[in-house]
Amino acid sequence: MDAKDILQGLPKNHSAIAYLQNEKKSRPPKESQRKPDGISREVYALTGGLAPPLVASVDVNQFKRRTQTENEKVTWQWLPFTNSARKDNLQLYHWVRVVNGVPPTGDYSFAKYNKHVDVVKYTDEEYEKHLTDPMWTKEETDKLFDLCELFDLRFIVIADKFPSSRTVEELKARYYNVTRTILIARAPSPGDVAGHPLVKEQYNILHEVERKRSLSMVLSHTKHQERKDAEVLAEAKKILETRKAAKDPDALELPSMPDAIPEGEDKAAVVVDSASPTPNNHLMTGPVAPHVSEIASTVASLRSMRVYLRTYGLEQMVQAASSSAGLRTIKRVEQTLQDLGVNLKPRVPTKAVCAEHLELRKEILTLLNLQKQLQYKEAEGSSYRDASYTETPGTPPKRSQRADQDRTFVPDSFSFGGERGVKRDQKRKAPAARLSEAPSSPAQSKRPRKFKLDG
Amino acid sequence: MPQSSGSKKPGTDQPDVSGPTPKSQRTKMANKSSDDGDKKNLVNKLKDLEISVPIVYGNIAFWLGKKASEYQSHKWTVYVRGASNEDISVVVKRVVFQLHSSFNNPTRIIDSPPFELSESGWGEFEIVITLHFHNDVCEKPVHLYHHLKLYPEDDSGPMSVKKPVVVESYDEIVLTEPSEGFLARVHNNPAVVVPRLPLGFPLPPPVPLEDAEKKKRGDTKDHSLSQWFTNFSEADELLKLAAARQQVQAHIARLRRQLNLVDGQPQQLKPVPDI
Repeated sequence: MDAKDILQGLPKNHSAIAYLQNEKKSRPPKESQRKPDGISREVYALTGGLAPPLVASVDVNQFKRRTQTENEKVTWQWLPFTNSARKDNLQLYHWVRVVNGVPPTGDYSFAKYNKHVDVVKYTDEEYEKHLTDPMWTKEETDKLFDLCELFDLRFIVIADKFPSSRTVEELKARYYNVTRTILIARAPSPGDVAGHPLVKEQYNILHEVERKRSLSMVLSHTKHQERKDAEVLAEAKKILETRKAAKDPDALELPSMPDAIPEGEDKAAVVVDSASPTPNNHLMTGPVAPHVSEIASTVASLRSMRVYLRTYGLEQMVQAASSSAGLRTIKRVEQTLQDLGVNLKPRVPTKAVCAEHLELRKEILTLLNLQKQLQYKEAEGSSYRDASYTETPGTPPKRSQRADQDRTFVPDSFSFGGERGVKRDQKRKAPAARLSEAPSSPAQSKRPRKFKLDG
Repeated sequence: MPQSSGSKKPGTDQPDVSGPTPKSQRTKMANKSSDDGDKKNLVNKLKDLEISVPIVYGNIAFWLGKKASEYQSHKWTVYVRGASNEDISVVVKRVVFQLHSSFNNPTRIIDSPPFELSESGWGEFEIVITLHFHNDVCEKPVHLYHHLKLYPEDDSGPMSVKKPVVVESYDEIVLTEPSEGFLARVHNNPAVVVPRLPLGFPLPPPVPLEDAEKKKRGDTKDHSLSQWFTNFSEADELLKLAAARQQVQAHIARLRRQLNLVDGQPQQLKPVPDI
């Protein structure tokens, strides 16, 4: 029942449409022997031409049937209808597909969606006998059941309309409790209703409250927290992998290297990595000295390949050189490369270009590490000064000097690793903001410095 | 030549132990039967040699304009060529282009240069290009992945019949531990980059006649599409990298100075070797 059906019902000589249809038919489908009927070329191309599940799931007969019915005379008529879901016998009109002049019979096709919930009705007697609850009055319970009937158990709406303040969970708990109790009370024996879903699956209010609390906690996670979580997980994975590698040295693809060296190094890395993710330790795990063993083993494994592509070799070497750096650091290296106007993947990867590219990446790692160290030192210095509390006469010149430093290492043409990039999150903006404020207000200079710590 | 290619086999069969282990050396010497010290030395030197073949692969696509139909809107050529249009058939024996399965015989095998394939169609897809090498080069093939491009980027103006869409990538085939025979065959071939050979390597006299003949057949210098070929300049790339490195090094130096100032004492942090 789409536009095409309606158009087919129109007289055939109808101007452009007939023309379009004719033209479509006259064009011989070239790939028809390969692609199944009824599937557009684009969809077929998406499947890669393999026998995809899509073809099996689309019933080809459906398309055939449509062509068979072409000899039927289909018209669309504006006819009255009644809706069995209505009780007022309101007469409305709509367009109906009429085949060979016979209008369709039967109920209005959307009437079946008018569903009602049978809400249990209890008598006053039953209430007195089974349903008294210190937390609920009879009036409240009555009101709840009225609303349940009115809104077909849409508890969110019911909670909204409920006169006294009750949570959705409380309302649900009361409703299901009452309904279950009545159900059991009315049954001749408890065994008769044991299989009823209301009896079998009891509503657990505590569980529901806890579930919603956890859910909202997850959903209200900020991007920042998410990133941190992902980083911790990645770090953990890396540690696991290093441990695994250290455990069975056979797995190392490095037959010519003495086993002691890589093993020892890996272990050291694990110890430092797993110690703690505080900024202090981060400094030490810094990528200044990329795993020598990693690089050596990559070189060896490349050589043993006999043939490889230069781009592949570079990829492997980049991975090896940054194996000791965290995910964020690697991202910052790439950001820096972009800021410098250097392609992440060299356009002309000759041997010399690849070597230079690798060196550049190493230097950027060194640079980022130095930046971190400097920030750390500054924070350390400032906390020391904070501890001594009084602003000694020696401090002001020192601070102004620091402001100078900041200005000098925010490069003019680009920002390194996006750390001072404007598009990063709020905290990252702090150092830049400080630049303008530092000389005038000494009190404010403390706060941003702390922010820098988690940078 | 057959002798030396035979001696390569232990390495290819067990790539894991192909480092300079005594075992593979022994095999080599046994095969060579002339295990004097010089020879051993030479073998070791050859092991460190790395031969590269600069190549460019990609496609050139012409829009058919008025002649375009629904299924044939473009005529395109996909190819692998020497980076400076040299004949790469000294190394490459066969190139297999794996086309989209909607083409007739989607696996196209090209056994002689120029290694290219022309087709017409309407759709873009990824072409897997497999390079097979001559027996004395390497038994393993290498795969390249090229996304066939027919339609220009939005910012480069509308489709035109005159100006084709050209997408090319530069790469290098790196061959490690070349056999002596192969080395002797290609050491002065313009399509191949061979580093300085170790002293004492017996080089056969160049064979200019055969070379010239081969070139005529296989290079792409006079190719009908050569005006559209991209020129990949290593120098530009190196220049850019050098500038970037200079900038980074300057910042490293500045940061070091600042660290020293903050410390108020000579730097006793980790020594960083580079700069």
